[in-house]
Amino acid sequence: MTQPVRPPSDDTTLVKIRGLTTVLNGKTIFNALDLDIPRGKITAIMGPSGTGKTTLLKHITGQMRADAGEIRVNGENVAELSREQLYKMREGIGYLFQNSALLTDFDVFENVAFPLRQHTKLPEVLIRDLVLLKLQAVGLRGAARLTPNELSGGMARRVALARAIVFDPMLILYDEPFVGLDPVALNQVLKLIRTLNQTLGITSVLVAHELAAVQRVADHVFLIANGKVVAQGDPKTIANDGSAWTRQFFGGEADGPVPFQYPAGDLAQALGFAGAAK
Amino acid sequence: MNVREPQRSNVVSQSLAQIGACGLFLLTLLAAVPRSFRYVRETIRQLWFVGAMSLTIIMVCGLFVGMVLMLQLYHVLSIFGGTSASGMVVALSVYRELGPVVTALLFAGRAGTSITAEIGLMRATDQIDAMEMMAVDPIAYVATPRFLAGLIAMPLLCCVFCAMAVFGGHLVGVTWLGIDNGTFWSNMTAVVDVRTDIVNGVLLKSLAFGAVVSLIAVFQGFTTPPTSEGVAYATTRTVVASSIAILALDFVLTAFLM
Repeated sequence: MTQPVRPPSDDTTLVKIRGLTTVLNGKTIFNALDLDIPRGKITAIMGPSGTGKTTLLKHITGQMRADAGEIRVNGENVAELSREQLYKMREGIGYLFQNSALLTDFDVFENVAFPLRQHTKLPEVLIRDLVLLKLQAVGLRGAARLTPNELSGGMARRVALARAIVFDPMLILYDEPFVGLDPVALNQVLKLIRTLNQTLGITSVLVAHELAAVQRVADHVFLIANGKVVAQGDPKTIANDGSAWTRQFFGGEADGPVPFQYPAGDLAQALGFAGAAK
Repeated sequence: MNVREPQRSNVVSQSLAQIGACGLFLLTLLAAVPRSFRYVRETIRQLWFVGAMSLTIIMVCGLFVGMVLMLQLYHVLSIFGGTSASGMVVALSVYRELGPVVTALLFAGRAGTSITAEIGLMRATDQIDAMEMMAVDPIAYVATPRFLAGLIAMPLLCCVFCAMAVFGGHLVGVTWLGIDNGTFWSNMTAVVDVRTDIVNGVLLKSLAFGAVVSLIAVFQGFTTPPTSEGVAYATTRTVVASSIAILALDFVLTAFLM
């Protein structure tokens, strides 16, 4: 069963969000959202398309500023950080983009080496060893000299993951990591997420739609809709909490709290039948 | 009439907003110049792409511009018996106007579009966001090196263009039409002034055009909507805006430098 919204204590919470309010192009994305990401756990953020899941990740990393509310990452208020402080914080965060976002000018090796070259003065030998170890961890040491356009979707995501963990971050944000993967690649990514969490103790936040995959890997699930957390709890039981939101989202119902029709005026009027509406 | 009026004002206000945004972007670029010094290798790499890779088109076009110019001038000047001045007029036309302007237009078409399309695609594929997330400043790493590369490459390309144009003029005038070689060079060296024609004409103008074209190309790339259609529009806008800016700026610079 789902649990009531109750933030864990500070030392166990890595990301604390309070009263987050965001309005984009006149549409309210978040309406006083409260959410806590516990340390060392895998937390899944789920919700209908367009509900602001990726926007939430961008708020956490400081890529987007909220209209109101507060986001604290490891105790630091993201909105109050200077550019240098924000960049320093980001060195401790890995971000896996939906389309991997590999730098197309570089091969696989150089993509993984890129953050090391930018932020350290490590000797080339050490950079080589570190990169090869990270590529070995994602099973792609043999693909080190391939270019991004020679990689399959699953391989590109694993390379992006190797790049995201090259600094052994405290937090990894996965944006739709399972989209477009075949069952083999999906299992490989699931295994990697779980292994990284267990062996390195990395706090993981994953935005996803696939309940079956989330149930296999996540410790906790938040369901976001209408700008708020509408349900949260154990991934194995959240689908059965009985609320209209969970019933529609996890049951895949076409209509419900998330309407089938995008808000529009009266159809009869739109078709020009002036009196038909009455 | 009433329907068209607001549209026109909308276009004007959008254009002014674009110019204002471009100006602010220039300030951001300039502020990032000290930070971009650590990416000298990236600037050199971009110099290769926008400069060295543009050499062929610049050299070929320069050659033909000089050849055509000499051909036209020879026929006009022969009416007055002044064909010996052809070389001098070719040189002055090329150094003062055609060299910087045509090089800049070619540079906008060859390098400007490539810069815009590359940055636009980097945005569309989240590469710029990925850099932000890896704590790498994309203005210092992506924008400024391309801007500086354009700034450095343009005067050099313009010199190559001018040299090829004079060579083309010599080829047609001396080798083909029979103008005396000594007259060709002596008339040219007697009239061409280093400060007025070379420094103000070739170097200063091409430096200004290089800054404008690179700024517009980088700005359009960074502000394009991250879609294939957006990138296509941004690339077109780079050519159109650069061409207008080059010609307008040429008039202003000529008025002040003459």
